[in-house]
Amino acid sequence: MINTSLPKNCDIFCNVIDNYGDIGVCWRLARQFTHEYGLSVRLWVDDLSSFVKLCPDAMDGAARQFCRDVEVCTWQGDFDGIIPAELVIEAFGCRLPENYVEAMVERLPIWINLEYLSAEAWVEGCHELPSPHPTLPLVKYFYFPGFTPKTGGLLLEQDLIARRDDFPNHAATFWQSIGRETPDENTLTISLFGYENAALSTLLAAWANGEQRIMCLVPEGRILPQVIEYFDVCHNEGTHLIAPKPKNSQINSYQQNRQWQHGNLTVQVLSFVPQEEYDDLLWACDVNFVRGEDSCVRAQWAAKPFVWQIYPQDDGAHWAKLDAFLTLYHADAPELAATTRAFWQAWNMGDATTIAQAWKNFIATREPMRQHAQHWAQHLSRNNLALNLLDFCQKIGRIRAFKIVESSS
Amino acid sequence: MKIAQEIRPGNVIMIGAEPMIVLKAEYTRSGRNGSVVKMKMKGLLTPTAQETVFRADDKLDQVILDRKECTYSYFADPMYVFMDDEYNQYEIEAENMGDSINYVEDGMACEVVFYNEKAISVELPNTIVREVIYTEPAVRGDTSGKVMKPAKINGGYELPVAAFIEIGDKIEIDTRTNEYKRRA
Repeated sequence: MINTSLPKNCDIFCNVIDNYGDIGVCWRLARQFTHEYGLSVRLWVDDLSSFVKLCPDAMDGAARQFCRDVEVCTWQGDFDGIIPAELVIEAFGCRLPENYVEAMVERLPIWINLEYLSAEAWVEGCHELPSPHPTLPLVKYFYFPGFTPKTGGLLLEQDLIARRDDFPNHAATFWQSIGRETPDENTLTISLFGYENAALSTLLAAWANGEQRIMCLVPEGRILPQVIEYFDVCHNEGTHLIAPKPKNSQINSYQQNRQWQHGNLTVQVLSFVPQEEYDDLLWACDVNFVRGEDSCVRAQWAAKPFVWQIYPQDDGAHWAKLDAFLTLYHADAPELAATTRAFWQAWNMGDATTIAQAWKNFIATREPMRQHAQHWAQHLSRNNLALNLLDFCQKIGRIRAFKIVESSS
Repeated sequence: MKIAQEIRPGNVIMIGAEPMIVLKAEYTRSGRNGSVVKMKMKGLLTPTAQETVFRADDKLDQVILDRKECTYSYFADPMYVFMDDEYNQYEIEAENMGDSINYVEDGMACEVVFYNEKAISVELPNTIVREVIYTEPAVRGDTSGKVMKPAKINGGYELPVAAFIEIGDKIEIDTRTNEYKRRA
């Protein structure tokens, strides 16, 4: 008997390649399935230490634990005796354990490869296509997140927009939680989350020497050593800083409330921000620098001007992806395209020669950018990935049921 | 076994017990240095076409097929007819011709591919030479070969060529990628 109702349980497999993008998406999807759709979810992760960063109350090294009602399992060893769930999701084409795949033949679950996010046109042509197993009677379906109705959409919690819109009523609490008073209206607040970037020190200098006060919040991550280095150099050159010069040995033990000031720029380092608190940071800031996939999507829900540092690929394939997104993002706001494109490209290229002027031009369009970001977020919110994915599961169930009826009649 | 990225139109792969001829294969970079290959395939036993997608490094079982040197004779809609040197004729459906359809010419030498003694597709030489029958005039001074413009070859197929190519020029084309290589 083929089941055409929603799956009751789900296995999500996550192979952490680097950083937190893979596990970030999987953890978000797992929680959404559990809390909003009542699925029983097992999240298999091969690198629990990355997961613990996103969910600090998880235990590193635990073979099996429950976090936010999601069963989080360490993906190791063989899978003998593990019964596959009704819905199996391999994230980003990670290879499932062979004996798990063999066990799937007995139960014929719906098997999804959740792919990477891209704004490129080819994604629409590959979305929801089957990928038959070459030797076993199993079919996997490729499922692409995306920005258009012909893709799977983006992860969006049911209450996110309401919480975002209510955030100004609680913004003071956020600033208090990081030990600061709410910045005044004349201070531009920026969150800075990124990979290493050769243009960073030039940009920080432009901010320090600019006319507007800037409060820059830097969550612990790959860009932090460069921020520290910038203030280290300022200190050596005799620039007055309000915080003591950091020593390299302190880099890994920085706690919340570490801050420096140079000219009009104040930088505050935040401890690694758990996933559930990251939205508050984006909502609190006027401009958000984000990187990779998950934080980029969250910045779009934040409906604020943002700067995306795309995951760099070996052969430069990321440039076409960045370009595709910029084109789509500005389709309804062509007047903003040139300044945004120039700054995003300078940031992604790490181009220290153009970054300062590009920033000046970019930030001059802040208000229309903010309005456009709100329209964009509203437009995207009609296309919910978790909901679409479950609808697709039902569609597959109906197709299978039809095939069974057809072959028996 | 081949990985999906190596599969070309005209190849036959096994999906379960069914041999499938690949009609089209498009390689695309996805994210994090991953890639996917979108394929249009058709069953040789139950000829229904379907679109599929694979990870570029998915392993697929390619069927080794018999081949025979033939020449293209004529088109009898919807079949392309080829002939070997013993005057045996072999028909191939237009749909199974893949990108070869862009280049076939009367008397052209190629390899007809067989599965269970049935002609199923055709393979062309990797490089062929064709005459440009129409293109916009050359851009003065640009001889770098990096600037491209569309050009039409015999048979009507259009592809990007270097900006300095003119009507009547002969060009080399890579039939695996459908890309212009150089002026012949």
